[in-house]
Amino acid sequence: MVGYAARRLGIALALIWVVATIVFLVIHLIPGDPAELLLSQGGVAPDPAAVAELRARLGLDRPLLTQYASYLGRLAHGDLGASLLDDHAVAGEIALRLPRTIELIGAAGLIALILGLPAGTWAALRAGSAGDRALSGLAGIGLSIPVFVVGTLAILVFAQLLRWAPAGGYVAFARDPARHLIELAMPAGTIAVGLGAIIFRMTRSAVLEVFGRDHVRAARARGLTRTRIVLHHVVRGALSPVVTVLALHLGSLLGGTVLVEFLFNWPGLSGYLVRAVEARDYPEVVGIVLVISILLVILNFAVDLLYAVLDPRVRHV
Amino acid sequence: MMRATRRSFLAGAAALPFLRIKGAQARTPGILTFGLSSYPPTIQPWANAGTAALTVKLMIFRGLLGYDHQGALRGELAESWAQDGSHAWLFKLRDAVFQDGEKVTGADVKWTIEQIAAEKSTAYYRTEMQGVEAVETPDDRTVRIVMKQPTATLPEWLASAQLPIISRKSEGGQPVGAGPFVLKAQERGVSLDLEAFPHYYKPGLPKLKGLRAIAYADENLRVAALQTGDVDLIEYVPWQSMESIGKDSKLKLDTVDGPFMYLVFNGSKPPFDDARVRNAVAHAIKRDEIVKAAFFGRGSALAHLPIPAQSAFFNPALVDGWRYDPALAKQLLAEAGHGGGLTCSFLSTAQYGMHKDTAEVVQQNLAAVGIQAELNLPDWATRVALGNKGQYDMGVMGTTTDSNDPDGLGNLIDGSLSPAYVRSVGIKTPKLTALLQAGRAEFDTTKRKAIYRELEAAAIAEAPIVGLAWRSQGYAMQKDVTGFTNLPGALTFYSGITFEETAVG
Repeated sequence: MVGYAARRLGIALALIWVVATIVFLVIHLIPGDPAELLLSQGGVAPDPAAVAELRARLGLDRPLLTQYASYLGRLAHGDLGASLLDDHAVAGEIALRLPRTIELIGAAGLIALILGLPAGTWAALRAGSAGDRALSGLAGIGLSIPVFVVGTLAILVFAQLLRWAPAGGYVAFARDPARHLIELAMPAGTIAVGLGAIIFRMTRSAVLEVFGRDHVRAARARGLTRTRIVLHHVVRGALSPVVTVLALHLGSLLGGTVLVEFLFNWPGLSGYLVRAVEARDYPEVVGIVLVISILLVILNFAVDLLYAVLDPRVRHV
Repeated sequence: MMRATRRSFLAGAAALPFLRIKGAQARTPGILTFGLSSYPPTIQPWANAGTAALTVKLMIFRGLLGYDHQGALRGELAESWAQDGSHAWLFKLRDAVFQDGEKVTGADVKWTIEQIAAEKSTAYYRTEMQGVEAVETPDDRTVRIVMKQPTATLPEWLASAQLPIISRKSEGGQPVGAGPFVLKAQERGVSLDLEAFPHYYKPGLPKLKGLRAIAYADENLRVAALQTGDVDLIEYVPWQSMESIGKDSKLKLDTVDGPFMYLVFNGSKPPFDDARVRNAVAHAIKRDEIVKAAFFGRGSALAHLPIPAQSAFFNPALVDGWRYDPALAKQLLAEAGHGGGLTCSFLSTAQYGMHKDTAEVVQQNLAAVGIQAELNLPDWATRVALGNKGQYDMGVMGTTTDSNDPDGLGNLIDGSLSPAYVRSVGIKTPKLTALLQAGRAEFDTTKRKAIYRELEAAAIAEAPIVGLAWRSQGYAMQKDVTGFTNLPGALTFYSGITFEETAVG
């Protein structure tokens, strides 16, 4: 087991190095110069001497390989560098924004589970009924409607017409917990629409599948109540594929909440990444992509280990 | 327990609009919430970091001079100023203190100018301040700035929000200014909290207790935040929302035509090395279509140099210098040897709708006279890089000048300046360069007007840029916000100076 874990860890570290290198090279090779951009704000013509000075100060005038070497050196010490715009530490900013994105994704996952799981179970138990067809239709709409449409509609209805919530924004939990939750509700709800529909579909088909299995039939033959059968034998059995799908989607949402963060002014990691790319803020772009990659690699690493624990045959593959 | 009937459900649903969560749009008395178009990338006093940063800087800092509501120069830290001989200007400082309590003295002005002009400075006014020969401070309240050349435009430069006076005792890279608001806290990328500076040099100002500036990058959300009352005032009102805001009884809209769209050319190679081809382009464009398509009718045609109608230097005789005349465009093309039409690359950006929409209208108009312009729409950063390197044939740009003085046009039309994405590349303009220099050195307004009339006529003939459209620049606010004014013409982005007189509620 230790050997297996060490092998997996080695692969994970190599993966992180590959990602770091690719991101570093790609962002440096695409056109656009951060020094020039910084001094070209507001449609002004940058003074070439000032651009040269800023490039030298930021270390951008050095050969790419030298920059790469010093970047790897810093990375080995856990230093993600500082923003080219204002010298702000990238690690500090990520530490501030990552929890907000995780919170958003977590809340969306929770809402999606609360809605999708019971609805999927209910629809499966009444497969073919009008209620099942209506719910399946709704799920189809939820799946196909783009997230920016859901978000825009939510702002129109809940902020502009009903005035239940602000149109968007963010207040730290410590500053005002109630307002924090109000502001979290709309973006999380928006993500939850698509996610809930996926969970609904997964649950429905998994429950249908489990429902036909022998152990359920045996439970019914033993005279157990319908509620007990559904809760203890059907839903429990159907849970594992649902949880796998949910985990996969939540992982991909780490860098994929851009539209929702933008739409609701939620200051998370995705919006930060987009702004960093726009400004060609190299250390920020590389830092954010690297952290997201590391999280995904850790997630995969954990899953690999879990598989090995669950199925000893995997260790010898 | 109440039974859930269909009737009670419907009644509940009907009552929903009357339920308001208290605090969702709560207001703190005396605090104005301002919806910024983006979070300022930096609030360094002398760097041009875009309009959002400019507005925030106008809350925190002040320069020697500034502008009043009509856009006329007025004293800020200087209570008076006057020309002193052919090369110098004399400034009398008022009794003012920086936000750290230190007095504002001539030594601070001298230090500020030295920092901006320094060898390693990245300040926006570095080149201009390198034209300063000496800064003399005969006493604490008097500053005499001696220029290397006679410079009529120095007061306009010193009124720029990019040139605030900073305390020479500022420590640890934290510039201390003398503006009406003190920056108390900022959450990077989210918001800035400012508090009134109690010792501001204008008695009774600022009227507000504080300001909270929140960045709303999405223009639709910015408008929604204003309509729901989350914010009191927003900048960069999107053109498509101006009508609905104008009709909303709870809101008011303040717009001016200030920024403008124009075309730049690569004059280092055919076909745009020929002024006739550039003029052919200028005469082929239906500018009203641009105003309609890109700005929802909020703006006006610009068929001359971008000198606003409010400027003393505006010349009505040249207002149609580049009028729409497709026959003339075809004739000019034929004279330049392109009677059979031509193909060129056309650079714009997909990142900003106004740049993309403007380019698409121009592309269609040009096709009608035989110019096939192939659109290149990269992101903004790439567009800037390609523009600075001159890797295009023709491009769309949008900007504003630093002030309503035509000297600011030099940045766009002076071919002797270094290549930059805001102006054409490879077009030599010796006549325009000489006229710009003459205008800068001339103190007599009548003579300056004559110089700039000649400059505009020459520029229309040479077409180093081609004007397309003025675009309306708007601020929108709740009805009970008073004192905030959108400054005229190019000064619209300096409107933040009026926050000191702004009140809410």
